[in-house]
Amino acid sequence: MTGEHPALTLRGLAKSFDGKVAVGGVDLDVPAGSFYGLLGPNGAGKTTTLSMAVGLLRPDMGQAVVLGHDVWADPVQAKRLFGVMPDGVRLFDRLSGAELLAYQGLLRGMDPAEVDRRAAELLDVLALGDAGRTLVVDYSAGMKKKIGLACALLHGPRLLVLDEPFEAVDPVSAALIRDILLRYVAGGGTVVFSSHVMEVVERICTHVAILAQGRIQRFGTLDEVRGQRRLEEVFVEVVGGRTATGEELSWLSR
Amino acid sequence: MALPVSTPVAPTTATAPRPVSARHFARLKLRVMANGFRGQTAKVVLFVLGLIGGLWFAAMGFFLLLATGATDNPNVSVIGAGLGGAVIVLGWVLLPLVFFGVDETLDPARFALLPLTRRTLVTGLLTAALIGAPALATLLATGGLVVAAGLLGGVGAALVAAVGVVGGVLLCVAASRAVTSAFAGMLRSRRVRDLAAVLLAVLAALLAPLQLLLMRGAEGADWDRVADVARIVSWTPFGAPYTAGLEVAQGRWWAALLKLAVTAVTIAVLLVWWSRTMESAMVGTASAGPAAKPASAGSSAVGALFPRLLARLPRNRFGALVAREARYWWRDARRRSGLITLAVIGVFVPVMINLGGTSGMNDALSGSDVEVSPLLFSLSMVFVGTMAALNLANQFGYDGSAYAANVIAGVPGQTELRARFVAYSLYMVPLLVLIALLLPFVLGEPAWAGVAAGTLLASYGAGLGVNALVSVIGAYDLPETSNPFAMNTGAGMTRSLLSIVALLASVVATVPLLLANVLLPGFWLWLALPAGLAYGVGGALLGAYIAGDRLDRRMPELLHAVTPRR
Repeated sequence: MTGEHPALTLRGLAKSFDGKVAVGGVDLDVPAGSFYGLLGPNGAGKTTTLSMAVGLLRPDMGQAVVLGHDVWADPVQAKRLFGVMPDGVRLFDRLSGAELLAYQGLLRGMDPAEVDRRAAELLDVLALGDAGRTLVVDYSAGMKKKIGLACALLHGPRLLVLDEPFEAVDPVSAALIRDILLRYVAGGGTVVFSSHVMEVVERICTHVAILAQGRIQRFGTLDEVRGQRRLEEVFVEVVGGRTATGEELSWLSR
Repeated sequence: MALPVSTPVAPTTATAPRPVSARHFARLKLRVMANGFRGQTAKVVLFVLGLIGGLWFAAMGFFLLLATGATDNPNVSVIGAGLGGAVIVLGWVLLPLVFFGVDETLDPARFALLPLTRRTLVTGLLTAALIGAPALATLLATGGLVVAAGLLGGVGAALVAAVGVVGGVLLCVAASRAVTSAFAGMLRSRRVRDLAAVLLAVLAALLAPLQLLLMRGAEGADWDRVADVARIVSWTPFGAPYTAGLEVAQGRWWAALLKLAVTAVTIAVLLVWWSRTMESAMVGTASAGPAAKPASAGSSAVGALFPRLLARLPRNRFGALVAREARYWWRDARRRSGLITLAVIGVFVPVMINLGGTSGMNDALSGSDVEVSPLLFSLSMVFVGTMAALNLANQFGYDGSAYAANVIAGVPGQTELRARFVAYSLYMVPLLVLIALLLPFVLGEPAWAGVAAGTLLASYGAGLGVNALVSVIGAYDLPETSNPFAMNTGAGMTRSLLSIVALLASVVATVPLLLANVLLPGFWLWLALPAGLAYGVGGALLGAYIAGDRLDRRMPELLHAVTPRR
């Protein structure tokens, strides 16, 4: 099946809030086995797009298909195939890490013994075992990201959709998360993640798409998009950034 | 989009910051409210309805206080102003804790980083808290006292009464803020939160004696004694602001001034208390969490999720949902305070209705023959059962955005709702059974236990069904603050409306059982329990079926509705 279908296909996804267009028709093909970076400035519509792709937010128009299953028409099948780590969404954080994983696993209909085994392994690999019975609400930001990733990985999905996995994470944890994701892709999985940290994207992605003003502006393999330049230059050019002239904010210098 | 490149202003010396006054807070509150209403027609409608409702109650209060205050009979006027005022103050203190929460449009924590003095912050937040339907309604209602004082004692009395009434509103708002803030702090602290829970329960229990007092007053048992009580109350902060004008009208200027002083001192003390607890709330959440507790050796993740008492639950999706909900009803301060207050109301109100409605507490305690009406008894049981289910009316709002986990996992609606019923019932059903056993015993009619249990379970089950539907259709977001009593602007109205709808619908759903109570008195005593149980389970299952179907179709919309907007 992995060979026949792209891991994720988005067709004309659009969403407006109170008449304000947040996402204005996004088309995207994520090939199976790719490590796909969705880039965009703050407010570009990354979270809205990914939320619509995984069934958290109903699109006004368009289609999201995961490995041949339409997320909105056939949610039960589609939701089995992917794991999600949303951003800006709380976890059930009045559970401890182990309790949260057990909850997620059983919610996914997994065998309890298998849940135990994988949860122990994930907590160990992500260095969350020391937290013991501390509630997730008392975790640090980096630990919350890691337990969120563990929740997304627990049921062994074919596709991982991660919203800002490297935001507010210290370098050690970021390296750990990166290694786990690279191993996951090497093992045949597909990762789609949103970010605006160019260094990380340039280092690990096979494909990138740049989202700005609610639309995909550039997409393709990493080399196709950046050409001979640095990704950051291409990004700023596409997004249309503003460079300082040196006159403003003069009151900041003494 | 581009910054206007202005000509360099460049003041080399730092100018003194302009002082921040209460006016800024008032404007900020109005701005935040207006922005919150933008594009939210339903919210605006509810807000307007709330205003109309507030005006209605204000008008009733106004004429009641005017009528009692303007009489020549000093007993009547002191009862009206003194006890009426005390009811208003108590209502301001207790109702936010028990039912409505406080409007926290301006969350004190948001001001933590601003260089504001404690005095500025407290007066500013007090001003902001004064803007809203409840304070306005209170001011209008107690305005009746001003008119009454003017009619009796002329302009001087009216002026003093006006000062007293304004002071009264300040006192009410300050008291409600101080008390909720203090309780929020206690419920957050791991050390004293169980103590706080007990205190909250005691306060909630105060609602019942208050009702008893009103009933006895209405029965006209002994007006002179009531007036004596009112005179004493009128010297406490509860009655002082409202009786000052009365004192002037009766020629006692010294008393009026003393009462205004009592009011002023009380407000000052409350504000100091509020500012203390507010500061601890502003910095408290940043303090270190508890030291990591080591996982008990050899424990499994799944074993950890299930509480020991629920070890027999199936280890599947349903079991996991029940276990998580059961843990949440205790671990989440917001849910726990709801659980405790409803539990206390559930115990005390029926006792008071049944005893207070007939001949009063004293007779009952002395064991004399109490005439208890079976119908009143059944009705009070229906009330308790439906109240008990009311906590689920916004059950998804408690979850907030965390509900996304269930959406992503695609939990079927019926499973979700049934699991939530079971988890909540783990707390509620033992309590209901206890009430069913104890109350008939207290009333001297132990044989009624079967009817009590049957009616309670039937109305509770029907209530679960109704509230399931309400929770799916009428979900609203709760603010993500550390204050379990905090509500968004207008949410108080939503909450009361939905609660009333849920209560009415639940009562209607229980009508067949009440009819059976009346029509089949003989063998009903024995049939009530099994029939009630079947009725309750059936009602809950039917509710889960209907609401579950709706939930399946609008999970993302529900998630959107309960996700707090920033």
